[in-house]
Amino acid sequence: MYIQVDNANTFIATGGKPFDASLPTVVLLHGSGTDHRGWALQARWFAFHGYSVFAPDFPAHSLSDGEALTSIEAMGAWLIQALDTAKVNNVHLVGHSQGFLVALEASVLLGDRVKSVTALATASAIPVNPALVETAQTNPKAAAAMMLQWGFGTQHQYGASAVPGMQPIGIGARIMANNPLAIDLAACNDYTKGAQRAQHLASIGCPSCVILAGQDRMTPKREGLKLAQDLNTHAQVVEESGHMLLMEAPKQSLKIMKIFIQSVEK
Amino acid sequence: MSKSSFLGADTIALHSGYQPESDHGSRAVPIYQTTSYVFDSVDEASALFNVEQGGHIYSRITNPTVAVLEQRLAALEGGAGAICTASGMSALFVSFFSLCSAGDHIVSAAQIYGSTITLLKHTLKRFNIDCTFVDINDQQAVANAIQDNTKLVFCESIGNPGLAVSNLPAIAKTAHAQGVPLVVDATFATPYLNNPIKHGADVVVHSVTKWIGGHGVAVGGVVIDGGNFDWLKSGRFPTLTQPYEPFHGMNFWEEFGPAALAMRIRCESMRDIGAAMTPHNAFLLLQGLETLSLRMQQHVSNAQAMVTWLQQQDTVAWVNHPDIDAQAHTKTLFPKGAGSMLTFGVKGGRDAGAAFINALQLSSNLANVGDSRTLVLHPGSTTHSRLSEADLVAAGISADLIRVSVGIETIKDIQSDFGLGLRAAAKVVAMQAEA
Repeated sequence: MYIQVDNANTFIATGGKPFDASLPTVVLLHGSGTDHRGWALQARWFAFHGYSVFAPDFPAHSLSDGEALTSIEAMGAWLIQALDTAKVNNVHLVGHSQGFLVALEASVLLGDRVKSVTALATASAIPVNPALVETAQTNPKAAAAMMLQWGFGTQHQYGASAVPGMQPIGIGARIMANNPLAIDLAACNDYTKGAQRAQHLASIGCPSCVILAGQDRMTPKREGLKLAQDLNTHAQVVEESGHMLLMEAPKQSLKIMKIFIQSVEK
Repeated sequence: MSKSSFLGADTIALHSGYQPESDHGSRAVPIYQTTSYVFDSVDEASALFNVEQGGHIYSRITNPTVAVLEQRLAALEGGAGAICTASGMSALFVSFFSLCSAGDHIVSAAQIYGSTITLLKHTLKRFNIDCTFVDINDQQAVANAIQDNTKLVFCESIGNPGLAVSNLPAIAKTAHAQGVPLVVDATFATPYLNNPIKHGADVVVHSVTKWIGGHGVAVGGVVIDGGNFDWLKSGRFPTLTQPYEPFHGMNFWEEFGPAALAMRIRCESMRDIGAAMTPHNAFLLLQGLETLSLRMQQHVSNAQAMVTWLQQQDTVAWVNHPDIDAQAHTKTLFPKGAGSMLTFGVKGGRDAGAAFINALQLSSNLANVGDSRTLVLHPGSTTHSRLSEADLVAAGISADLIRVSVGIETIKDIQSDFGLGLRAAAKVVAMQAEA
């Protein structure tokens, strides 16, 4: 569905069913330079099993218009606007990589509207090599290629696909081709409040779930484990996956996500 | 900072899409000779049917062995996804079927495979899909032929059998300027010689039967979704950008983006038409694909040697290969050589040509190309025999044209064999002179 946020046409993927704000809402937040399509399979499962799905393309990403947001704080505030526009009240926030930093930031603004947080392949802080940011500014295609090579684990570098016949790296390259990767990477690099936000969520007893990838070279597992500590939860690791966990291991990641979110809903 | 370094093409051809499976460690890709797949639970079955998870349901739709070939070919061509089909013609059919509906229109190169002309001119016409044939390298003609209801521009990267090389970047530019995708049959080029997606193509089709298999034992096709075309911005493709009722209103573009067309073909064409590749054929074709680059080097080398040799024979009237007086775009698109197909005519016309073919011992007279063995054919009597005289001229087929798919045999043996044929042709010429 399309909604207007900040006077910009904004695309919200709903998992193949009409959005219904009266249902428990799962908010799926994409990572740097990507879009809602990384969540294609997980979104469909939630949408067809009693939830509403709210998976936005952030401004200037893929199907959404507007100016790219330059800080995680701005992205968090934008998400609240988007949720309010769609009249969404309580949410399960799920974020991949940068998307979870946004979830952490948004959680402060949402307060008790947050029912749970789920982190996939991420950390409390995501410092980015300055050379990668510079490459993303000067040669976005080259930077996207680097990220895809580091982002996907061994099996996917060898052409594996959870969906028969598809090429996740090829799909990722197309999605990232026109998105503001450099701005996203800089925003990740500059964000320093992640640990503090995570510890706050733990202190108020917000249910949390951390799913990490054993072959993650973008946000290494050890950093994800620190995030789990900050959130006062145990991390679950999908060993054979790289950073693009939601595309590389959709079945395994969905299984953990749904068990967790269903447990919160009970 | 290091540059990205994805696998090279030769490695992809050997490894992509499969790593030794955990149960038995089979190094070769196993043949999953099964119609169907046991579900863990009713919930899992439901999730598979509703595209909530990837996996296999029924081998008409997907199969693990076929999927390896699909993923390998998608990687080799630099695409977002691929769907293998029962033949090259079925790959073309599902591509057209997925992009066009009744009342739509296609712009096609005139110099293409005879059966494809028949499909475009007669078969699709029955479903009210029209086609305008043009000189594909005349961009004004292509632009003029595109109508409001045009859904694709189609060409072969190297035309069969005229061997005209399509100027893919120019054609793509013309098509894209009017919001129309470019579909390219790249069978004669193979992924080794040219990757059309890198030159602007949006969809690539192969008859995998040919050089990719190379052994001439299995028929198959593939559609590769380039993933670069913006189906929504084009405004011409409701089949991809509007809800699809059979899948609860699935919007392929919104949900799958760069893989929208591949997913539509999977969900609709493979289900409704069922032109599936068999797992055994996929296995056989994978064996061929593994050595594609090595074979293509020999194919091209032999073809170039045969061109030179034929040009030196007194009994040969003319020789055609894209590398002869190559146009600038041919050199750009085919730096490793423009394939291993050549055509020629012997002095004495059709009768002398027939004598040539009938005298051959090593080379095979048959309706296929891209076999590792040298193959010859008289298209005017066979593959293009259903075309009118006007269509034959448009397709670049003269009465004396002999099509040669140069194999990878020892070159002197191919030349000796053709020598037999040329002597037989010369006798016909002598008899014609006496008469």
